[in-house]
Amino acid sequence: MYKMMQLWTPLSTVFRRVLPTTCCLASFTANSQFASLSSHLQSSSRVPLRYGLDFSPYSKISLLSFCSQSAAKLDSTTKRCWNCLAEATGSTPFLYCDSCRSIQPVDLSIDYFKIFGLEKKYEIEVDGLEGKYKDWQKKLHPDLVHSKSEKEREYAAEQSARVIDAYRTLSKPLSRAIYILRLEGVDVDEEQTVSDPELLTEIMEIREAVEEATDSQALNQVQSRMNEKLEETSDSFANAFQRRNLDEAVTCIQKMTYYQRASLCCSCNVIMGSTTLRIEEMITTDV
Amino acid sequence: MLRLMAKRLLGTASRDIPSRPLQILPRLYHENVIDHYNNPRNVGSFDKNDPNVGTGLVGAPACGDVMKLQIKIDEESGKIVDACFKTFGCGSAIASSSVATEWVKGKSMDEVLTIKNTEIAKHLSLPPVKLHCSMLAEDAIKAAVKDAEAKRAKMNGTLKGADVKSG
Repeated sequence: MYKMMQLWTPLSTVFRRVLPTTCCLASFTANSQFASLSSHLQSSSRVPLRYGLDFSPYSKISLLSFCSQSAAKLDSTTKRCWNCLAEATGSTPFLYCDSCRSIQPVDLSIDYFKIFGLEKKYEIEVDGLEGKYKDWQKKLHPDLVHSKSEKEREYAAEQSARVIDAYRTLSKPLSRAIYILRLEGVDVDEEQTVSDPELLTEIMEIREAVEEATDSQALNQVQSRMNEKLEETSDSFANAFQRRNLDEAVTCIQKMTYYQRASLCCSCNVIMGSTTLRIEEMITTDV
Repeated sequence: MLRLMAKRLLGTASRDIPSRPLQILPRLYHENVIDHYNNPRNVGSFDKNDPNVGTGLVGAPACGDVMKLQIKIDEESGKIVDACFKTFGCGSAIASSSVATEWVKGKSMDEVLTIKNTEIAKHLSLPPVKLHCSMLAEDAIKAAVKDAEAKRAKMNGTLKGADVKSG
């Protein structure tokens, strides 16, 4: 996991990391904006830039924890606004102080479910997320703090990036599943090899079907089958997680990853197919 | 600090009319990987039910990769005479399995078990983030050998049983 971070984190974040924990966010103004942007980019896909799939935001969490740990420790017991010292009300997560309208530094003890005011359950109302997400951004977005102090502008950058991450993670079943297991202390190991013959034979057949599909109709069929499987496995995950059968839950996540990947390949092939057709059209009509 | 560096670079670019464009270091695939990707060796399938064929089917669920590596064993010598693969995954995974099929040909099953993922990775100059692709190829080889050996043991077991009966 850390090997991957070394590749993708920019130098500024590396500097930030090696400094003692007494460093506070304010003293590294030049670095942290880039760091938060890059960690935001990093967090939006487990395998960055390759598939554009939202898998896990863990890299971002671990990045932030190095420097904001001290900040979090200071604030977690008292939870007061850094600006006006008003106490945090228990009702909403303390990302923003309503008394003086200041954005607060990131507190990692506030997990993504708390940010959206949700119970820590796998099954959530996805429709409700967008509204809350927009409400948060109306308070936290960096564009709103141009006239404020550098410290607060940093807080804005990091808080809004975190809320974006939270929104993306919770919106999709697979990323939500991975995240909720992570909160339970179970990391779906990135580099694990599996050899379940039944599952792999099934996946192999599906991928071959995608490769050999002759038209977009066939691909759409495969894709809808994949979406069905995704839903089924999502339900199995919910079930397994509720029973606290974490091994089974991990297996469900692995299956979901495969189905999602196959579904993505269908989309790609449809696009490639139609692009090829268009090019052929252009070539044949342009005589 | 990064901001300072960026400013300096941009400053230079605007002062001198770009005689030397801003150099961004790309992360490239090694030419060996590109070669294996464009000209993959040994893509295909053997008959899974052939008693002399060992099939290794492995996957890396985190990235959605799946790799099938098959070996054909010569009955008498027990050596691997042919190999083929089918991989759905990234360029590094495809190249790793392609290399694996090349390396196992002509060797004994014991010998191929010593092929390490680090050797494959070195041959393809895989970056750290792609090391698990070579690991997958190593696991595929091991799985194929395991399957082949199991089939051979079964076959020998049946033959022995037949001898006893006829004898």
